[in-house]
Order: sequence, then C-alpha cells, then structure tokens
Amino acid sequence: MKLKDLTSPFYVWQRAFEKPYTQSKPTLNREGAHAYRGFHINDIEKCVGCGTCEEICMNNAIDMVEIAAKDSKKGDSGLVPRFDYGRCCWCALCVDICTTGSLRMSNEYTWAADDPDSFRFTPGVDETSWQDSEHGYRRHPEYDLLKLVRPEMEMLSPDEGLKSFDEVVAGYTHEQAVVEADRCIECEICVATCPANMDIPGYIRAVREENFEEGLRLLYDTNPFSATCGRICTHRCEDDCTISTFGKPLAIRWLKRYIVDQVPAERFAEILNDEITENGHHVSIVGAGPGGMSAAYYLRKKGYGVTVYEAGASGGGMLRYGVPSYRLPDDQLDKDIDYIVSLGVEVKYNTKIGHDIEFQQLMDKSDAIFIATGMDQPSSMRIKGEDHPRVLSGLTVLNDVASHKDPGVGKNVAVIGGGNVAMDAARVCRRLGADVTVLYRRRIVDMPADKDEIKEALEENCNFVLQAIPVLIEDAESSDQVTIQWGEAEMIAEDGKRPRPVLQEDRMHTDTYDSIISAIGQSGDFSFLPQEISDQLKQHWGKFEVDQRQRTAVGKIFIGGDIANDVADAISAIADGKNAAIGIDAFVSS
Amino acid sequence: MGYAGLQLVNTMFMQELCERMTRQFDCDQVMHQKDDLSFLRVDRDRLESALMYLKTHEGFVHLSFVTVIDYIEDGFFRLNYMLYNYDKATNIGVQVDITRENPSMHSIHHLWAQGWTYQRELKEMYGIDFPGSPRVDEEFVLEGWDGIPPMLREFDTAKFCEDRFAKRDGRESQDIKQTMRDNLYPERGES
Amino acid sequence: MFDLKRYSEAELESGKFTKLWHGPQHPGITGNMSLELTLSGDDVVECKTHVGYLHRGFEKLMERRTYIQNFPVVCRIAVPEPTFNEYMYAAAVEELAGIEVPERAEWLRCLNLEMMRLASFLMWLGGACGSFGMSTVYQWTVTHRDYMLDLFEEMTGARIYHMYISPGGVRAPLPDGFSERALSVMNGIEKLLYEIERVALNNHIFKMRSQDLGIIDPEMVDPYGIVGPNARACGFKRDVRKDAPYLVYDQLDFEVITADKSDAYTRTLVRYQEMHQCISLIRQMLEQMPTKGSFHADLPNVLHWKIPAGQTYVKSECTRGEYGYFLVSDGSEYLRRVTIRGPSYTHAIAVMEKLVVGVNIADVAGLMVSLHTYPPEIER
Ligand SMILES: Cc1cc2nc3c(=O)[nH]c(=O)nc-3n(C[C@H](O)[C@H](O)[C@H](O)COP(=O)(O)OP(=O)(O)OC[C@H]3O[C@@H](n4cnc5c(N)ncnc54)[C@H](O)[C@@H]3O)c2cc1C
Ligand code: SF4
Ligand code: SF4
Repeated sequence: MKLKDLTSPFYVWQRAFEKPYTQSKPTLNREGAHAYRGFHINDIEKCVGCGTCEEICMNNAIDMVEIAAKDSKKGDSGLVPRFDYGRCCWCALCVDICTTGSLRMSNEYTWAADDPDSFRFTPGVDETSWQDSEHGYRRHPEYDLLKLVRPEMEMLSPDEGLKSFDEVVAGYTHEQAVVEADRCIECEICVATCPANMDIPGYIRAVREENFEEGLRLLYDTNPFSATCGRICTHRCEDDCTISTFGKPLAIRWLKRYIVDQVPAERFAEILNDEITENGHHVSIVGAGPGGMSAAYYLRKKGYGVTVYEAGASGGGMLRYGVPSYRLPDDQLDKDIDYIVSLGVEVKYNTKIGHDIEFQQLMDKSDAIFIATGMDQPSSMRIKGEDHPRVLSGLTVLNDVASHKDPGVGKNVAVIGGGNVAMDAARVCRRLGADVTVLYRRRIVDMPADKDEIKEALEENCNFVLQAIPVLIEDAESSDQVTIQWGEAEMIAEDGKRPRPVLQEDRMHTDTYDSIISAIGQSGDFSFLPQEISDQLKQHWGKFEVDQRQRTAVGKIFIGGDIANDVADAISAIADGKNAAIGIDAFVSS
Repeated sequence: MGYAGLQLVNTMFMQELCERMTRQFDCDQVMHQKDDLSFLRVDRDRLESALMYLKTHEGFVHLSFVTVIDYIEDGFFRLNYMLYNYDKATNIGVQVDITRENPSMHSIHHLWAQGWTYQRELKEMYGIDFPGSPRVDEEFVLEGWDGIPPMLREFDTAKFCEDRFAKRDGRESQDIKQTMRDNLYPERGES
Repeated sequence: MFDLKRYSEAELESGKFTKLWHGPQHPGITGNMSLELTLSGDDVVECKTHVGYLHRGFEKLMERRTYIQNFPVVCRIAVPEPTFNEYMYAAAVEELAGIEVPERAEWLRCLNLEMMRLASFLMWLGGACGSFGMSTVYQWTVTHRDYMLDLFEEMTGARIYHMYISPGGVRAPLPDGFSERALSVMNGIEKLLYEIERVALNNHIFKMRSQDLGIIDPEMVDPYGIVGPNARACGFKRDVRKDAPYLVYDQLDFEVITADKSDAYTRTLVRYQEMHQCISLIRQMLEQMPTKGSFHADLPNVLHWKIPAGQTYVKSECTRGEYGYFLVSDGSEYLRRVTIRGPSYTHAIAVMEKLVVGVNIADVAGLMVSLHTYPPEIER
C-alpha cells in the first residue's frame, strides 16, 4: 500500500472552497439552445394543409383538422396539423419535410398541465406562450428532404424548331420520368386544382413504379385525352404543386405524356378493357371537340348509344384546328380520338347542326343532348379599319395551317394579343418564315398565355412590343400591306384595382406590315339553337350557365366546354364532358 | 501498411477463403458485400463443421452475433452467423436456410461460450429450436407471453396494439383529398 | 409464480443458500436488468441474468417504419449512447442504398461520436465510483456530463436523443462559436479527470475493492466474444477505430490503449485513459474540422424511399466495444430485418454469470458496472 493512496483522496476537501455545481431555485427559466427542438409553431397563413407532416411522422402524432379560421381553396386544403404530445418525440421530421416552411419549433420545453388532453393542440390556432418564439429548431436551408429540381426536358433548339412544324418537346426519357416521378410527395393538393380532378399522385406513382398499364387506367378514369393533355394541357395543377414553394413543381403534364407514350395505341383496348353493355338509350352530342368526345367516351362506357355531330371534317375541335402541330402532332390527337371512336361512338363529320340537321330533330330523337360547340368566332378589336383585307384572325391562320393551306401572311407580320392563340399564331408565322411583332396592351406578367409559350415565343425571336394599344388600321401604300397606328400605354392602378393600360396620346406610332393578325379572344356561335330553347338557357358573359353536372334549365340539354366554363381550356372541356355523362346518366335513369 | 493496403490484402484473402470454403463445404452462394465482409451459404448439416473450421483454421475466432431473417413468403428462415477475424480484419457471415415448419437447428453453444444466449433468444422470438443448447427453453426477454413468437413476420404489431390498448379519444384525422372534394367540388369527378 | 427450483441447481431446500434478486433497479448505472443470485453466506454461488425490463422489440418496430422514419427511432436503443445507433443505422442504409456521404458530414459525425463516448464514460465513471461508495464523484461526473449535454443541445437540438446523424449526413453544421465552448468544456473535464484520479483511482479503498475483482482471463476473450475496454484491459489491442477505420479516424492521432490484467480496477483505468483520449480526439477534430461544404447527401424522396435488396454488417467502436448493425433490405420501402449487435449481449449475460461466482454480494454492483453494460442493447 502506498501512502499516496491514503492521502490523495483528501484532495476532495479542496472542493469545499469552490463554487458549487448546483444552482438555487427557481431554475426552470433556463432557455433552450437556439436550435433546440422544443414545442411546435405553425404559421397557418403559410401552411397549405398538405399533410406531409402527418405522413412522415413515425409516431402518428399528427392529425389534420379543420379550423374555423381557414377554408379549403385551390392549393390549400384548409386543414392544419394538430399535435398529440402524448406521442410526439420531437424528432422534427415534420419540420424537415414541411413543404411550405410554415412548421417549425420553438426552444420552449416546459409545459405542465393537469389535463392530459391539453397536450393535444393545434399550433397557430391554440394560444401558446411560445408561438412568437424567435428561436428553436428549423430546417437548415442546406438540408433538404424534398426534391426541388426537375430534370431538364430535351427540346428542339429554337433554330431547329423554326425549320418545321415538328414537335418541339422531346418528352422525358425513362430515367428522367422515374426521377421526376420520385419527387412527388403524394399530398394530393393538386387534385382539386385539376379541372378534371385527375388522380395525379396515383398516376405519378404508376410512373415511379414503372407500371404504365396501371397508369393508363388511372388516366382514363378521368381523362380520355391523355396523349393530348400530356402535351398541351394548361397544367394548372402544377401551379398549386406544394413542391413549388421551394422548388420547381412536379412536371405533372410531362409525366402524363410519358405514360401514354409508353403504351402503343394497339394495346389500349386490352389494357383499358372497357366493356360495354348497351342500355338502350341514345344521346346526341354537338361538337367533336374534347368536350363532346369526352362525354361520348363516358356515356358509351355506361352503355349509351352515342352520335356526335361535327361540322368539320375531323374530330378534336380547336385541338385540331387551333393548336399547332409542333405542340400537338396530329397523330397524338388521333390516338386519343380513335380509341374513343373504337368503342362504338358514331361520329357524323361535315354535319353542322342548324345547317345540315336542325337542332329540334336531335331533341326529338335523343334521350339527352350534350352541346360543346366551342368558341370559334374571333372577337373584334373594336377599332376602325379592322375589316381591312390584310387583317386576318388568328384562328383562321391556325386553321389554314392545320388544314395544310397557306394562310398567306407575308414576310412581316404583327400579332395583336397576349393569350395562347396569339402566341400560337406568332410562332406559326415564324415557322412560315415571317418576322413577327407581338403587340400587347399590358406587361409580360399580365399575359394570359402560358409562361412556357411566352418563353418559347421569345426564344424563337418574336419581337414583343408591350403596353401598345392599337388605335387605327389603314391602307398602306401597297395594297399587299396594311398600316396600324398604335399608342404607348401606362399601367395605372386606380383605388387598389389591378393596373389598367391607359393610352398616352402623345406617344403614338405608325407601322406597316404585310398582315395584321388579330388574336384577342373568341366567342361562340349559338345560332343553331331554336329561339324558344335559346330563351330558356341562361347566359352570362357569353357563356351558358350550368351546374356542377352541366345541367341547364332544359332537362334534356347539357352544355359544356368552352361555351360553358370560364377557363376555356382542353382539360376543363374534358371534365365537363365527363360530368355531363354523369349528369345525363342520372337524368336518363331517373 | 496503410488501410488501403490492408484492404487489398483482405480482399484477396476473402476471395481465396471463399473459394476454399466452396470446395470444402459446398457453399452454394458467395456474396462479397465489401472488402471486409462476405457472406457464404452452407447446408444445414455442414454449418457446425464450417464454423469450426473457420474458427480453428482460418482465424475467425470471434462470433459477433447470430441472427435470423424470416422469409415468410418463401417458407424459410435464413440464419446468419457473423464471424470476425481480428488479424485480417474481415467479417464473414455464414448463412443457413432452414424450413419454417418446426424449425430447428444444430446448436453451436460448444463452439462459443455465449452461443447459447443467441439461441435462447431465437427460440423465444422466432420459435427456432436448438436441441441441446443450455436453457434454450427459458424465457429471455418475454415474461408470460402466450402469443406466437413476436418477431415472426406474421406477428402484426399494429394489430396487437389495437387489440390490447384503448384508442385515445379525440384523435381523428381528415383526408386531404376528401376534404377538398367535399368543400370544393362536391358533385364532380365521380365515376 | 416464479419457480425458483426450475432455475437453480443449488439445493435451496437445504437451507444453506439464500436466493436474492439483485435489480431490476440499477445500483450504479447498469441499466434495468436483474440478477438472480444464489448466495452462500455473502458469496455468490450462482447467477442467472434476467433481461426484458426495458425497451422491447425495436428491431420489429423498425420493420414497420420507412427508412427515414427509423432514424429517430434508433437513438432510443441506448439512452447513454444514442449516437452510435444513429451512426450505425445511417451507415448501413447508406451502404445498401449506395449513398456517398460528404466529407464534412464525416467529420461532424466523428466529432459527435467522440463527444458521445466522453459523455457516456463520464456517466459510467461516476457510476463506477458510486457503486464502490463514492457518490461524490458521481455528482461531479454527472455535472460535467451535463455540460456535454449542453453542447449536444447546441449542436443537435436535443440533449439526450440527438437525432442528428441522419441517413445521408447530419442535419446541421456546427453553430457559431461552438468550438470555443466545446474546448472550454473539454478543459473542465480534463481538470475533473485529474481530480478523480486523485480521489478515486488513487484511493486505497477503491483499489482494495476493485483490484482483482471480476478478472477476465485472456483465455475467455474469444470464446465469450469479449470486446472493447474489457478485452483491451487484458492486453488485446483491438479497436474497430484502428482495425477497420471508419469516418475520419484514420486522419486522427491516437493509439489503442491496453493493459495487462482485466480486473475491475484496470478496466476503470483503461476507460479513464480512453476519456483523456476522447478529449484529445475532440480537440484534434475541432481543429481540423472543415467549415465549408455540404453536410448532407442528396437522398431520393424519403417518403417512398426504396432500397435495393441486399445485406450488410457495419460496426463501430462504442464505449463498450464493437457495436454493429446488420441490415437486410428486400427492395421495398421497409427494411427486412435489422439486428443490433451490442457488446452487452455477452458482457452482461454469459460473462457476468461466470465472473460473479465467488464474488461478495457487496461487490456485485461494482463488478457489473466494471463490465459497462447497457441492457437495452440486449433486448433491442
Ligand atoms: C389557338 C388555340 C390554342 C389553344 N391552346 C390550348 C392549350 O395549349 N391548352 C389547352 O388546354 N387549351 C388550349 N386551347 C383551348 C382548347 O382548344 C379549347 O378549350 C377546347 O378545345 C374546347 O373544347 P370544346 O369541346 O369546348 O370546343 P372545341 O374544341 O372548340 O370543339 C367544338 C367543336 O364543335 C364543332 N361545332 C361547332 N358548332 C357546331 C355545330 N353547329 N354543329 C356541329 N358541330 C359544331 C366545331 O367544329 C368543333 O369541332 C387553345 C385554343 C386555341 C384556339
Ligand atoms: S416532431 Fe417527430 S414525432 Fe413529433 S410530430 Fe413531428 S414528426 Fe411526429
Ligand atoms: S407539411 Fe407544412 S404545409 Fe403541409 S400541412 Fe404540415 S405544416 Fe402545413
């Protein structure tokens, strides 16, 4: 035994002179570290109720609940997460995955109450002492669980694209599609935004799982124009994709296209397996656009005999005669229409109702009628000289091109308008070899056209003249030309309203073009309707008023598509067609 | 010798070892997972001698653990004996497939002094018998358990909890899609 | 009713023996398990260990959670050392999923692991002294462990269950000014360790009680699968950090610490030296730590993350020796099987049952602590 071993322990006495480790009470106010994972905070203004926090929580501590302060709207379910602190382990996975960054934590960690149920609370709704806490855990900006970047889509270069009417967008490769599909968090928020309420997360999952047959079936549940929509849909769903808060929205449209592109037309019948049992009823449809054909598909599936009357020589409506083939090749539209027709839908082409057959005849022989005649009457610019022979309508130009006729636009063209028709007309003219100037009353951000369309038009060297208001159209020196007078506009906002372009009369310009293409809107032509019927159908701003199932005041008549919905795009017409089929079925069988 | 150099030697050693094992014990499957980890599959009746050989002749003196993977869909258990050679710094997982019906396996308690513990656990958790293994029938972590061995794939923990515990009141979550449909497009989008 | 006879070979009826249940409360910090002791007078003649008092079925729970959901689960498998579980789980997942972890994350992980080792040893050292009657030391070490927990709180957002090392990397870089605060805690602990050396390791009573207690014969090491300080104390130069370097250990300067007799005292001494080693490693890392660059790899969408079928075994050196995860994936969103290999499995059962025979009842707790066991890693 060493002496040291006996004496050394007495060293401990030295401690008597040191500051004690213990602290005197109260000690409860010790602040947590700045990044402490304490109690939750949710900014319910930002939260979109996507439920991803609920989805990832491995303790099942989160419920999505309705609250008084918030209603459902597009892009926001209105639900918010409620936490059960009897289960939460403060792992903050929910915070890491929160798609909007609304959810975070405070550094508060003490909470005593005698009612165990009070530990079930809704941050942002229930009053808490930590709701304004500055500190606490939040996802580090460089730590991402969400996948924010979209694979780059291969496209024809603008130069290449201008050489022909070939499709510009190549479509995803297999690898790209699967990677893109993997980004989906399946929150389902987009479903409400899609006019057809397609099962978007479902078919994206099918892409991820490389099950294209299942994917096709899911598409056809709500949309028999998937090859088309996979190319030209206005993809409103993508605007509300929750991933877009921090990143690029899912390429929902391209994924839809990817599914249809994987399945050859010959296999549709076998995969979709649409069995039809005739029910003995008959429905007439006016217009073989997406609205009419979609109604035909769902009615046929329910066993109805369906006849579609179409004024034109082929089906597809504006998709055929409006949308140019570099965006939607004819064979893709045919793929969709052919399948619908193959179910036994009778289509009478070159048959204009009100001209070749009277509407009343359809009323007499059908159990119900669905009208989706679209809008093919160009709107007027309401300026002097607009009936000049060198002023063409955008629809006519596009129609000519689609029918392989030369619209004769010349070498130097002005397009008036900022919508999709204007963009299409401009890009078509570029392909016909013309220099194109687009005149638009407002700013680029105000353009109703699709962002991609604007971007591509610019890339294809269309010259944009913004805040330009046409005032007068006159003869030019040469009879092959036309002169337009336009004035610059200032955007002026009056009492909080959306800014309005106001003409500046001191800044006027005059230009001469080979032709001026007017593309400022279109409306429908309802002259085929007999007066007494027309009187009964209610209209508002040039559109028929219908309910959720496209019913009108006349029991037998259902209306949909561009002439009934405000959106006026293909997918809305398709949704109307499907809902009309449901409405008609209910009407006929009652 | 640096770690990289060591790795190379290990890889060669492992490859040769696996070849020797294949010749001697008919190992039908060899999988090199990484430089210092390979898996071998042997026949049920060759396991003991294979382990004995690895331990006494190849330097795999250390038994890291014994475990089992339940392949319920194919009706077998895959036992895994993880050995380690300190000199070569390599692991080898020796695996044996046994049927899931009345599963039983030769005991290795005489090869490693802690071997019986693993076997006792596997008996309790998977119902695999190891005849002759000391105290193999004694309870291990469970006490008074009368259900099926709880680690079996068919044992459903969620159901167990539902049956056993009361659900907490006030815990209801709303479906996102359904809520939005009810509030925004009640009559649309049906089939 | 518990049938004593079934368990015991000693003739209890003879009246010569006493049956004593030691635990499941834990004197010292052995964790909840109990020893069923048969005593003759004050001496143990037989021991059976009983586990099952704590966390059960982690491995099963993990089969029902997605890969990302498991990362907050695993830390709970060992309260004093959650980090090793986090790291092993992440490493196994990354290996099977083919994910490269950025270098900065490796440093942060390694720092986190060594901090964990130190914190865990502090608690252990206090327990070791406490179970030989020196509970003052316990108060000191637990206090300094708390300073470590403050550091963890800053670095990871939590004191005990850090949930910091996630598959792919770590969740955050070091907060500003962390190094300085960490270094000052290190200085404090270093000073404390010298004090403990004086009052405990050099204490005649401590020596008397712990020397020659629970000697692990080198012959036992391989058959019993003894690892870590328990094996190093009797001369085995084995340490996963050196034998199969992971993270950044191959860039750090340290030697495997060994001794020549594994009794309770020497084991304490070895761990004591390893604590100094931890401090040195932490200092080295704080100095060399990269301060820029990504700390988390790009993962696939974790909400439906599938990992190709495969199996692997990954391991690290925890305070108690080889700690490993055996992970089997089957290509689905859920792992097929995970087996967690902790040193206590053998140290607390087979080894303990052997060493405790002949030990005086008063020293049983001390012996148990000296093996440094955590029952939760047995039960998983
Ligand atoms: C240039 C242009 C580009 C567009 N780009 C897009 C786009 O990118 N994405 C998008 O989603 N939407 C786009 N749209 C809009 C889309 O084409 C329409 O919303 C959609 O086609 C409307 O479908 P519908 O069935 O209501 O009518 P339409 O498609 O217009 O079809 C109506 C059909 O009815 C026929 N018809 C009319 N009157 C009669 C009658 N009396 N008797 C018999 N048949 C008759 C017509 O010949 C026509 O075939 C674009 C439109 C245009 C003009
Ligand atoms: S912190 Fe973790 S346990 Fe708590 S609600 Fe969020 S995800 Fe669930
Ligand atoms: S993840 Fe975020 S945005 Fe979505 S519901 Fe939860 S808190 Fe709201």
